[in-house]
Amino acid sequence: MNKQNMMETLIILLIVAALSLVSNTLGSKNTFVEAIPGMLILVAIALAGIAMGRYLPGGIPGVAYVVTLGCILTYPGVPGAEFINACMKKVGFVSLCTPILAYAGVAIGKDLDAFAHSGWRIVVLACVIFVGTYFGSAVIAQVILKSMGQI
Amino acid sequence: MKNIKLHALVLGLIIIAELIGVAKFKVGVGTIVLLPMLYALIMGIFLAPKFLKVVSQKDMGDAASLLGITLMLLMARYGTLVGPTLPKIISAGPALILQEFGNLGTVLLGVPVAMYFGLKRETIGAAHSIAREPNVALIGEKFGLDTAEGRGVMGVYISGTVFGTIFFGVMASMAAAYLPFHPYALAMAAGVGSASMMTAAVGSLSVMYPQMADQLAAFGAASNMLSGLDGLYMSLWIALPMTEKLYKHIYHFKYGEWPQGEDAAK
Repeated sequence: MNKQNMMETLIILLIVAALSLVSNTLGSKNTFVEAIPGMLILVAIALAGIAMGRYLPGGIPGVAYVVTLGCILTYPGVPGAEFINACMKKVGFVSLCTPILAYAGVAIGKDLDAFAHSGWRIVVLACVIFVGTYFGSAVIAQVILKSMGQI
Repeated sequence: MKNIKLHALVLGLIIIAELIGVAKFKVGVGTIVLLPMLYALIMGIFLAPKFLKVVSQKDMGDAASLLGITLMLLMARYGTLVGPTLPKIISAGPALILQEFGNLGTVLLGVPVAMYFGLKRETIGAAHSIAREPNVALIGEKFGLDTAEGRGVMGVYISGTVFGTIFFGVMASMAAAYLPFHPYALAMAAGVGSASMMTAAVGSLSVMYPQMADQLAAFGAASNMLSGLDGLYMSLWIALPMTEKLYKHIYHFKYGEWPQGEDAAK
């Protein structure tokens, strides 16, 4: 679905970064200016990851490269990791979600009928999914801890 | 991308949403949390031609086409959250690592229930994972968030954001009180890739077993870090293909034919 070229992608990333700076400033104790270096690093990581997803063979989606790059660059001991970590502390995770969900809200307007149709079902389903995830993990943990004699 | 009106509107939504700020309501043992992102989403929906008529079809289409890229910034931040915790994750024990596969319980329970409710392609987005940020980004990239799959994953994501905390808090205390699980197993299971859900579950366990509180917190945090690391890869390589397969077979069982056209995998 990404029909944008790399230049357009970069511009969109910069627009979203600017908007995220606003939500980060209003929604956390960080100031606008001190969050700028971290935000630029995020733009660079995202852009590199998207490019890798697009041009590297294997069909791995860009999002996997983006997350992996973020992990590697902040892995303790990697050159520059401490600097990047210090920059990142000024960029709140939750603040980054606000612009995304604002765009998502506008986009959802398009499919409102479909949403209204499946809405309550998905809310109930969410509860089922929480139960499935939680007890799936609890059963395995219980069996392994028991078999290893740790409980 | 050149739709200035759209970006200006979004800027307005962000400012209003952040000025309203976080709202928390104590409900019994847990808390319902309303974050600015939720206000931004709801206000965004109300700009639609159906309500306030502020945005046009084109604006909505433009917003949808941008979503995939906007998520990448969040995913970059996500990676930088996981990175510093990697050494601790690597030293985690086998029980901690293997319980991660329990997250696939989501698929086994979620897909049949979703399809029982009559959901079709929404199932793929909604039931393949617990729908935290990496899963939303993955579905966004593979299908687009303005598709049936996208609606599914967004629905569960929003539900989790609003009442996931309270749900996990209550679920953990009920499991500890009525089911034959050791508190350590319940604490490890709490790490599903959301810090607030994990904290709520471990919090209620710590109240019930104060003498184990430190150990429970450590297991919860370590398992949550692990889920943060493997959640995306597990979805991509195991959960999503599994969901597609299960979907196909249940579809065949329920409707008497293999999924075709809109209902088929893309």
